[in-house]
Amino acid sequence: MSKGLTLKKVSTEAKLLLIGIPVFLWTIIPVYHLVLFAISGRDEATSGHLWPKNPTLQNFDFVFNQKHFYLDHFWVQMGNSVLIAGAVGAITLFVATSAAFAISRLKLAGGRWVMNLALFTYFIPAAFLAVPMYKTMGNYGLLNNQWSLILAMVTIASPYCIWVLKQASDKLPWELDEAARMDGATPLQLFRLVYLPLMVPSLVAVGTYSLLLAWNEYLYAFLLLSNDNKVTLAVALGHFLSADDSPWELLMATGLIYALPPAAIYYAFKRYMVGGLTAGAVKS
Amino acid sequence: MATVSFRKIEKAYGPVKVIHGIGFDIADGEFVVLVGPSGCGKSTLLRMLAGLEEITGGEILIDDKVVNDLESKDRDIAMVFQSYALYPHMTVRDNMAFSLKLRKADAKLTAERVENAARILNLGALLDRYPKELSGGQRQRVAMGRAIVRDPKVFLFDEPLSNLDAKLRVAMRAEIKALHQRLKTTTVYVTHDQIEAMTMADRIVVMHDGIIEQIGTPLELYDRPGNLFVAQFIGSPAMNVFEGVLQREGGVMSVSALGALWPVAGLSGGSHGQKVHYGIRPGDLTLADAGIAAEVVVVEPTGAETELLLQVGSGATAQQLILVMHGRTDAQPGQTVHLAIDGAMAHVFDGQGGQRL
Repeated sequence: MSKGLTLKKVSTEAKLLLIGIPVFLWTIIPVYHLVLFAISGRDEATSGHLWPKNPTLQNFDFVFNQKHFYLDHFWVQMGNSVLIAGAVGAITLFVATSAAFAISRLKLAGGRWVMNLALFTYFIPAAFLAVPMYKTMGNYGLLNNQWSLILAMVTIASPYCIWVLKQASDKLPWELDEAARMDGATPLQLFRLVYLPLMVPSLVAVGTYSLLLAWNEYLYAFLLLSNDNKVTLAVALGHFLSADDSPWELLMATGLIYALPPAAIYYAFKRYMVGGLTAGAVKS
Repeated sequence: MATVSFRKIEKAYGPVKVIHGIGFDIADGEFVVLVGPSGCGKSTLLRMLAGLEEITGGEILIDDKVVNDLESKDRDIAMVFQSYALYPHMTVRDNMAFSLKLRKADAKLTAERVENAARILNLGALLDRYPKELSGGQRQRVAMGRAIVRDPKVFLFDEPLSNLDAKLRVAMRAEIKALHQRLKTTTVYVTHDQIEAMTMADRIVVMHDGIIEQIGTPLELYDRPGNLFVAQFIGSPAMNVFEGVLQREGGVMSVSALGALWPVAGLSGGSHGQKVHYGIRPGDLTLADAGIAAEVVVVEPTGAETELLLQVGSGATAQQLILVMHGRTDAQPGQTVHLAIDGAMAHVFDGQGGQRL
């Protein structure tokens, strides 16, 4: 084998490593610090050692048993995060799939308009819309109601999801619809029995995307929800920094816990994520 | 079992008219092939019958009932698509049962129909496979099975064999023909391949630029093409055609072209001095000791037959002709041979409109 390693191959490998190593460090160093803090005692965390002398899981005990002022509502807030992310994922999927099917397969009049408007929403950064959104939710009396955050996140996630699903839908052979129509399928049966099963990879990708978007959201959650029992864990993590002597080791332990579900989801569905998100990227 | 009628069918996409008032009838149990070059409107016509395209003008009748405003599913027709259009996420069994399932047919009846279709098409062993696990020919058979299970009034085929390789195409051609002889269901079949049309059809409809050029049985079209287009479209290798002038001397008629007189017989019209197209099929040219002189350009032996590319005339008016003969020949390129022609086999078309004389 070593004989086969020509200079060209070596230089290609070297170039890859040259790019790969910095990217790897860039990604891993924050995670390393996260873990380091999470398993260090209170005084040891900032000692500058590469690895704590007495690694401990005590911080996790504090978090899970809500033994700190900042962690009084840990399980409720975790629950909120799960509930809101799940709802956003489900509702976005429903909205985006229906829209994509109607526009791409039923060739609804005005479909192009909807697509252009969807694209247009991304000309305005979500942060600019925070205040208008706050006011709108206020008008509907939804402030400090978790529905406000769910609806806001669905609004933000949907346009992109509609685009991805529309592009993926366009790639399904048109003859399948015609065959189904001749076989006697109504549009709803076509949707349920032919379209959905074939769209599964894209649906998983889009569902995961919107779910993670909602899970990681801080700004809107912070604005729209205020009660400690209503906020998501992301906002609760932010509260840790409101004091001068923040309990960093607990913040990092909680953060680590909060980061695990997305990592697990991403790992479980990465096959679909990569395929699905690039599926709509280029028109073949 | 059903009859199909097209009455003054027109189709336009915006201002562009692609079908210009087509009308013909299909008898119960007949196998009709729509054939023509791509863009002639044959697929559009089929899709209008299928209910997949709006009908701009005219009426389509199935069993004497106007179906213009009926949904595809209510027309009781089944279609086999060029790309097969099998549902990739369903097994062969589910693919075939899909239409019955949508109609909420009895499960036992559905299973029976699927088994029956699978037996006819020799798909029994493949029922639990997915389309991606099948070869092209098998997929094609599943697509046909899906149509058979429905037991429709009319079968529609939209270029069903063009995705298959040459050998399989010949085999499937025979299978479809055999299937039709067995089921006797009225069938409309679209193809651009005139050999498919010739071998399978009870009647052929030759289309060109949105109109019908000629309707007839395969041999009618071959023996008496109604115009120059049909003459050149039907038959392989294509008919030799060149321009000439009709000569009528006494009772004898001939066409003067390429510096020779080409015999003609049994002409119903045409006047002396009229400009015409003279057509003769490659198989109707024979080598003889005397006759019209031609130079051999290429000799292509295929075993049972030999194809000769000949050149008649010289200079600017030279014309290349193809001759197909049974058996072998000693003719060599560069050699001069002589052609004998039976005037009854010649086809003469008007020099202007291309209509048969």
